Amino acid sequence: MIEELQNIERQAMGNSRVHRLDARTKIILAFAAIIAMVAYPYSPDVIVPGVLLFAFFTVIWAFSGLSAVTYLKRLILILPFGIFIIIFQIFFENSRYDTFTPILNLPLGIHVYAESVEFATILLIKFIVCISFIILLSSTTTMQDMLAGARRLGMPSEFVLVIGLMIRYLFVFAEIYGKVITVFEIRFFNAFDRNLPYRYRLKTLAYAIGSLFIRSYEQGERTYVSMLCRGYSKDSFLRVEKKKIHAKELCFLIFGVIFIVAGVLLPYMVYYRGLVLPVLSSLI
Amino acid sequence: MHIPDAFIPLPQAAIYWIIALIFVILALRWARNELSEEKIPLIAVLAAGIFAIQAFNLPVGMGTSGHLVGGALAAIVLGSPFAAVFILTIVLIIQGVVFGDGGITTMGANIINMGVIGGFVGYYSYHGIKSAIKNDFIPAAIAAWLACFISAIACAIEMFIAGTFPLVPGIIAMGTYHAAIGIIEGVITAGAIYLIYTTRPDLMELGKGPAGSEA
Repeated sequence: MIEELQNIERQAMGNSRVHRLDARTKIILAFAAIIAMVAYPYSPDVIVPGVLLFAFFTVIWAFSGLSAVTYLKRLILILPFGIFIIIFQIFFENSRYDTFTPILNLPLGIHVYAESVEFATILLIKFIVCISFIILLSSTTTMQDMLAGARRLGMPSEFVLVIGLMIRYLFVFAEIYGKVITVFEIRFFNAFDRNLPYRYRLKTLAYAIGSLFIRSYEQGERTYVSMLCRGYSKDSFLRVEKKKIHAKELCFLIFGVIFIVAGVLLPYMVYYRGLVLPVLSSLI
Repeated sequence: MHIPDAFIPLPQAAIYWIIALIFVILALRWARNELSEEKIPLIAVLAAGIFAIQAFNLPVGMGTSGHLVGGALAAIVLGSPFAAVFILTIVLIIQGVVFGDGGITTMGANIINMGVIGGFVGYYSYHGIKSAIKNDFIPAAIAAWLACFISAIACAIEMFIAGTFPLVPGIIAMGTYHAAIGIIEGVITAGAIYLIYTTRPDLMELGKGPAGSEA
């Protein structure tokens, strides 16, 4: 994951309209889309809000100037985090269903159920929409911008200070991690090489991890001392300048939030047709 | 062990968020009172280090790999379970928002599993076992294994409550896999603590040192 840090930050340093958009706008839109998608019931008609939100994501992604390949590469890296649980769903009787229809009978009494395939599909749609908005947010907003945006949205200053420092040193440790891996490669050390004794491999890894821990601690000490030299005290905080959201940005934000809410709420209302039709019929 | 978005329904995710926030606030209070607020930068840099540590692929056996969670390691070395909560909360925020590992709505559950359960189980089991067998490194290994295993079981239970994975297969799958990863996590944690203790004993529990080091 840390290997991807530089790539993601490089993508986020673009100069498109989406990149230039205030971080607050992108954070609010991404979080709103994720919350809306998660809030939608686990029903087959999740495809409707799923497609609507994914279309919204696609339009913004197109304006960001980033390629579809970039998106797919990031998607492939994130997919394993959830895809295995989704695949396994098809073999189990999900508690949300009462009856199960086997569509495939496998040896050892394993069945694939139509209802479980349906639930796996629902999860997959929700999962892909959610991670797409995370990819959009992180590929078009640098970490420091995201942090400044979060501060302006009310994140406590203590957290902002700590996360700000952490982000800065993430890049340092990503480099150190890269060097450790290079050193391993130069010395032909491979943690998965079965020709090496298992104990030796674990010992080497443990020492590498221990030394990285010590290096980070010592770096922390040096950072702390240098911050003290520059006047840091317990009342210090990371200064984030006030910034007004542009009228255009505000319009886009309002439009985006309305689209997300409507994109989820309308299919929900239609799904519960019984609630909508009486209202419509009374209007007619 | 990171639960992604959509794998827990929103009302349940909100409850986990509230529970996690209580521990995050307590961890912030710990940082202010016990660690002294001035040393918070040190913890921030340490969090970046833990993030890098999690990148190491560890050979679990039978072609599978895992990575260190680091909650037990942070709690044992820094001498408080709240250290793990504090550090892993920051790590999980970055992982969820930037890398898409974990989720936004499920972040509360992930903080509970890896930060709270990992940190508290790691810290208290380490001290409990250490007082019984008078050794510094075997308890660290067992504590790290327990932290990894119990966090995984908690994750399986949360997924069952969420209705996204059945209980028994979930516990068997998560339990077996993390019991195996936990052994490696235990060995690596003990090895890392041994290295830290021999090279920088002053770091252990912020200078207190592990049992017997005062002698």
